[in-house]
Amino acid sequence: MAGRDERPGTTGSRGSRLLGCVALASLVVLGVLAFFLTGPDVRIHPTTGEEFGQFDAVRMLYLHVPMAVLMYASFMLCAAASVGVLVKRTPWWDVMAHSTAEVGTVLCGLVLVTGSIWGRPVWNTWWEWGDVRLMTTLVLFLLFAGYLALRRTTTDPRRQERQAAVVALVAVLDIPLVNRSVAWWENRTLHQRSTLEELKIEDLTLFTLMFSFLTFGLVVWWLTLQRFRVGWLERAAIDHAVGSAIADRRSETSADELDAAIGVTDEQVGEASP
Amino acid sequence: MTDDAGPEPPSFDLTPRPARPASGTRRGALTLLLLLVGGMVFVLLRTLGDASLFFYDVAEAVELRSELGDGRFRVVGTPQPGLVVTESDGGSAVVFTLCAGDVLADVVHQGDPAELFQPGVPVVLQGAWTAGRPTALDGLSNAAGDGWYLRTDHMVVKHDNDYRADGAELAPCGAAG
Repeated sequence: MAGRDERPGTTGSRGSRLLGCVALASLVVLGVLAFFLTGPDVRIHPTTGEEFGQFDAVRMLYLHVPMAVLMYASFMLCAAASVGVLVKRTPWWDVMAHSTAEVGTVLCGLVLVTGSIWGRPVWNTWWEWGDVRLMTTLVLFLLFAGYLALRRTTTDPRRQERQAAVVALVAVLDIPLVNRSVAWWENRTLHQRSTLEELKIEDLTLFTLMFSFLTFGLVVWWLTLQRFRVGWLERAAIDHAVGSAIADRRSETSADELDAAIGVTDEQVGEASP
Repeated sequence: MTDDAGPEPPSFDLTPRPARPASGTRRGALTLLLLLVGGMVFVLLRTLGDASLFFYDVAEAVELRSELGDGRFRVVGTPQPGLVVTESDGGSAVVFTLCAGDVLADVVHQGDPAELFQPGVPVVLQGAWTAGRPTALDGLSNAAGDGWYLRTDHMVVKHDNDYRADGAELAPCGAAG
């Protein structure tokens, strides 16, 4: 991550390129683990003796779950950076808040899509209105989409930063509702309770899930890094444009015009001259 | 000018104000924001509208039968072995007995069942209580036979969170338990 006073001239660096390559290689390994080495979820029912489970749909677990956890992490980082915006009032915090919010919103959208794709074969529905886990996640997505839209509606950067920071801090209040909904309102959601909290997963399935956390962690780290640098360069470009405009205005305006503009007469100028 | 030449003239701020975004972009962002707010209101209304449709378990649904009347509700339970595929009202139907603990309820489900529907795996059904005993129920080996059945048309599977090869901590239920 770029330092607070560091102004990168490009979004790439040796470190970030290496990070990108490692993330890419990890994605390939994850694909092999998820689609070839791990088996489908097939169990024998203890009373009927028949096969049951999620079968091949279980492979969506390796995408959906890490993306959901990293979505929480991105939004929490956004909230922490928003506190920094309100307290420290430096551009670094604002760029960080904006970057993590964008990455988190993309992840949230993907969580909704992958959940829906998985829900069709396993639940028999693409979407259930009224399901508390689905609804709170959709609200989280809309809140942060609103955050991103808000950032484009005002022309005053200072005001925009503060407003966005407040919206982010309100929006993250939905995260505990999303996360705990399966435990708090068990009879209002189809969604299963946490598998990891109850450790109902083992062997290669557990390893692949852990590896997917690592892989998507690298991907999200790389994405956030790139988005931060793009944001920082955007700010640098705006600052540079403003500085150039001031210099141009000063060079176009003669001393007499300046004095006239601020209401200083020739006599006052003569009296003030040594 | 020197320091003793009197008060400094007011400074003239030449700092250009930030350029306003193109009005089209600004209008587009505002429209997007309005759409998002509208979307959230829609979601909240839908959620609140469906708030009464939480899942009763079979025992609650049986206990509250007179209160529920002919209104639609959701019920969660475990299908018992011995499903009957039949025809009802000119369409396909699946007839089975749903249970929670020792409480049973007969079900006539209109339409195709869920892909992963099978005895012993909990489902959430949406429908209403209906008085009577259709002949299709005669094929059930362990029917509730209490003069009522659930007529449902929406079925989703409520799977567990267990991914262990021998993990199947499904609550024992009725004849399957």
